[in-house]
Formats: sequence, C-alpha cells, structure tokens
Amino acid sequence: MLSGIDYFVVVAYLVGIMLLGLYFRKFIHSSKDFFLAGRTLPFWAIGMSIVVSDIGAMDFVGVAGQAYRYGIAVGNFDWLGSVPAMLLAAFVFLPYFWKAGLYTIPEYLGRRYNDYVRTVASLTWIIFFAFDLGILFWATAVLLKTLLGWPVWFSIIATAGVVGLYTFFGGLAAVVMTDVVQMIIMFVGGTTVLFLGFYHVGGWSGLVEKITAMGPAYQDHFKLIMPVDTRTPFPWTGILFGLTFVMANAYMIGNQAIIQRCFAAKSVWHAKASMITGAFFKMFIPVLVLFPGLIAIVLHPGLEDGDQALPMLIRSVLPPGLTGLLFAAFLAGLMSSVDSILNSTATLWTKDIYQKFIRKDASDHHYLVVGRCTTVALLIFGVITAPASNLFPGIYVAVQTFLSFFQGPVFSVLLLGIFWPRATQWGGLAGVVGGIGAAAFMHVFKGRLFTIEDPFLYVSWWSFVTGVVLTVVVSLATKPYSGSRLVGLVYGLRSKDDKDIEEATQC
Amino acid sequence: MLIFDWLEPVLNFDWLRAVPLAGAKAVFLILFVIIGLLVLMVPKWYIYEGVERPRWWHNLKLWALGVLLMIFVTYYVF
Repeated sequence: MLSGIDYFVVVAYLVGIMLLGLYFRKFIHSSKDFFLAGRTLPFWAIGMSIVVSDIGAMDFVGVAGQAYRYGIAVGNFDWLGSVPAMLLAAFVFLPYFWKAGLYTIPEYLGRRYNDYVRTVASLTWIIFFAFDLGILFWATAVLLKTLLGWPVWFSIIATAGVVGLYTFFGGLAAVVMTDVVQMIIMFVGGTTVLFLGFYHVGGWSGLVEKITAMGPAYQDHFKLIMPVDTRTPFPWTGILFGLTFVMANAYMIGNQAIIQRCFAAKSVWHAKASMITGAFFKMFIPVLVLFPGLIAIVLHPGLEDGDQALPMLIRSVLPPGLTGLLFAAFLAGLMSSVDSILNSTATLWTKDIYQKFIRKDASDHHYLVVGRCTTVALLIFGVITAPASNLFPGIYVAVQTFLSFFQGPVFSVLLLGIFWPRATQWGGLAGVVGGIGAAAFMHVFKGRLFTIEDPFLYVSWWSFVTGVVLTVVVSLATKPYSGSRLVGLVYGLRSKDDKDIEEATQC
Repeated sequence: MLIFDWLEPVLNFDWLRAVPLAGAKAVFLILFVIIGLLVLMVPKWYIYEGVERPRWWHNLKLWALGVLLMIFVTYYVF
C-alpha cells in the first residue's frame, strides 16, 4: 500500500523522533530530572503531550469505525469526556498536587489517607499499565500488518526500540517534547485525510445531505445526545453520570500517565494552563478521528466491519507521500502512549513501592538508576507479553474491565479527600476497596442488572456512588486527622504562603 | 430475585426515561453554563498565582471560558 516516498516519510519520522528524544539525555542528572523533567516544562508542551498521550494508533481506526456505525455520538468521549474534567483538574486539583511537590497520584492518597490506600492505588496502576503495554504493541502491530503488510515482530521491535531508547535516556522531558512533535504530525496527517475526504463528498453540506438521505438507520448520525433506550452504548444518562461525572474526572485527574506531566510544570500557573491548553486541543480530536468515519459512509457504504472505514478511505483519497504521513501519525499515536506508560509506571514503582518498602534511604542517583532499569524491564515485559493478547483474547477485556472497576472508587476518595476535611484514612480505604467490590458485583451480574449491552458507564457511576457512601459512613464513625495535618491537601485549608500571595494580589 | 428486580430500574436510570431529548440536551448546556459561572467565581490571586508580572493573557478564566464557549456551541448545534 505504501510507495517509496511513503516509506521515506515513515523512516525519517522514526529516526527524527529518536534523535530528538535522545537530545534530552544531557539534561538528566537526578531522579527529579528523570521523573519530573526537573519541573521545567512549559504549559504548551504539557498540554499537547496530554492530548497526544490520550490518542493511540487504534483510536484512529476504532473511533472512525464507531462513527461509521453510530455517528457523532462517539465524539462525547473526547468533548464531554475531557473538557469539564480538565477544567476541574486545572482549577481545583492541580494547584494542590503541584504545590505538594508530588511525583505520583497514589502519593497524594498516601498523604491524605494512609499508605494502604497509596499502595492499593499504585499497584493497581502498575499492573494495568504493564499488561496494557503488551496489548498496545500487539494491537498496533496487527493493524500495521493489515494495512501495510509489515511483519508483526518488525513493528513491535522497531517501535519498542525507538521509544525505549529515548525514554530510557531522556525521561519525562524526552517523552513530553517528542509528544509535541507527535501531536503536530497527528494533526497534519488527520487534517489531510479530512480535507481530501470533504473534497470528495462535496463539503460538510454534501456529507450531511448524503448521509441523511441513506435512510432511517442514519437519522441519528448527527446527534450527540441519544435517548435512554438507545441501542448504542451511549445513552445520555450514561454520558452524563458515568462519563462526565466519573470516568472523565478519574482519567484526567487520577491517571498517572496523564497527570504526571502536569507535576513537571515550571510553575503552578503553567500546571493550570497546561490542562486548559489540553482541553482546547481536545476539542479538535473528534473532528480528526471521527469525521473520516462519516465520510467513509458516503464513499464506502455498506461495510460490514466499521473498522475498515478508515483503511478504505485512506486507499481511496490519499496520494503517495501523504499516506506515509498518516502512517507516521499512527506510529505517533502508539509511541506517545507507550512512552507515557513507561515513564509513569517507572515513577509509580520507584516512588510508591521501591522507595517506600524496599530501600528507603538510598542516594538520589540510586533511584535514577532504578527508574531507568524499571523502564527497560517494562519494555521487555511489554514486548514478551504482546503475543499473549493474541493467544488469550480475554486478557484485553480483563485488563479494561479491571480498570473500569477501579476508576470510580479512586475518584470518589480523591474528590472527598480534597473537598471534605472530615474524610478519614479508614473511610478512604473503605471507599476504594468497597467501591471496587461493588463494581465487581455489578460486572458479574450485569446481565441481570443492566438493560444495555455494555454497561461500563453505568458501572463506573454506581461504583463511584458506592465509594462516596462508604467513605462518608466510615469517616463519620472514625477519628479524623487534625486540621494542621491536612493543610495543603484539602481545598480551603491553605498554607501561609498561599495567604501571603492572596494578600499581595489584593494590595 | 427481589433485589435484582428492585435494582434494575434504579441502575438503568429508568426513572429518567420520561425526560425528552431536548430536555437532556438542556441539561448538558446548563452544565456548561454552571461550570462557566464557577470559573468566573475563582479568585483573582488564585488565577495569577505563579506569574511574576501578570498580563491580561495570563488570565486563565478567559482561556477556560473560550473552551467552554466552543463546547457549548458544539452541543447547541448537534
């Protein structure tokens, strides 16, 4: 499918990204440099990095495929699933996290509640990320084999080698700055498909006219809000309660791979601005990944597998050279997700587990070495376990289900932890453990409890509610921390420095 | 079992089935307006915290309101 110039574009992209990432190794002298880029990153780089880390190579194909089947309702996951949560993160959570000098989200949970909550949260993320790496590698390699005919192992080794090298040497700075380039490539590649696609269908009005004329099955393709009894997985109640109120916040505020780069901002203002910048760029993501699916409905109607929509569109509208650019965008999607997972998991392991339980008082250089070794170990684990996704297809579902159990309860204790000083350490532990238990119960009995096919949005909401109720009930029955213990960890309990800044601003 | 019969309509939000789609759309639009009002209530010192020489473009309220306007228009149109 690729011509000579396309291969040149893809290879030039891989080499360029590796060299750019390796450039940042000269700035790594301590564990803080490796895990938090020395807290020197500007808002625009972090904002772009957040957006690109959230989009994987599979999203290009998967979201276009869902848009082909269900229409623009799938865009809710990027719009409602990001913007409100990112504003909440920017104005409420991030300033407290940044000023506390955190490396990890579980570290906040440890300070606010206790080490049990911290360890449960950290181990859950580590296990999820470790298995997710193999799944990401395999799924993208299979995609590239289908589209390009590349051998699966070539794709895995090539991407793992490039990402591994710059993440090992350059740490978070390399991850974020390569993500900036990856986002530009993704936007250029996506926009090219979009413009050429619109040209072929007669622009926006031509697209709407042709799709709505295709019959009743396509009448809802331009509706974002779907009824409660929709046959799609996106009823408005699930979008509001499960996605907007819980999953989006849990992802943008509680996901280490997203929030860690904000801890690396060079000031608290840059930390806040980075999330709002990310929210701005997020508004364009559905346009890039979703609209090609709609265009494919007109150009290639009647496809049985919606995931073929984007590949068919690429074949029909993209000229040589630009096809290579789009595949570079696919690789950018994979690499930006993998580098974030590698660096974040290394941070979780080194700070929350190794430094806490295995070796407490080692030198800073020792923790830098541990972080780098963890990066290599994870990469090897990801490459080795990649074929397991194929041998045991249930692994992917199990890992995703595992995460959906966890997100609602953890967000419930984060939310109460920062807004409710009365929340106690045992309340937090009961909220996390009980919420996960409730999610597991709902998953086991989902056939009897839910009427929609895939009720993950509803499970997230109700496990969050369970987490809130349990945290409140157990907190009211147990002894709270003193107010001074919670300064800087709870909204409204401000340090003397904060009060000085407020007074200076008012003057 | 009785417990499942009782839980099913609650967990599936059957009690919101009567809300028309226009009403559901209004819920999301009102949510954006509420977030906008909360953003406007953020104190000035909190917005400029960490900036040595504040300029108008450092005002993160303007950035947030701009993004909220974009999402409001998107959901209003679709």
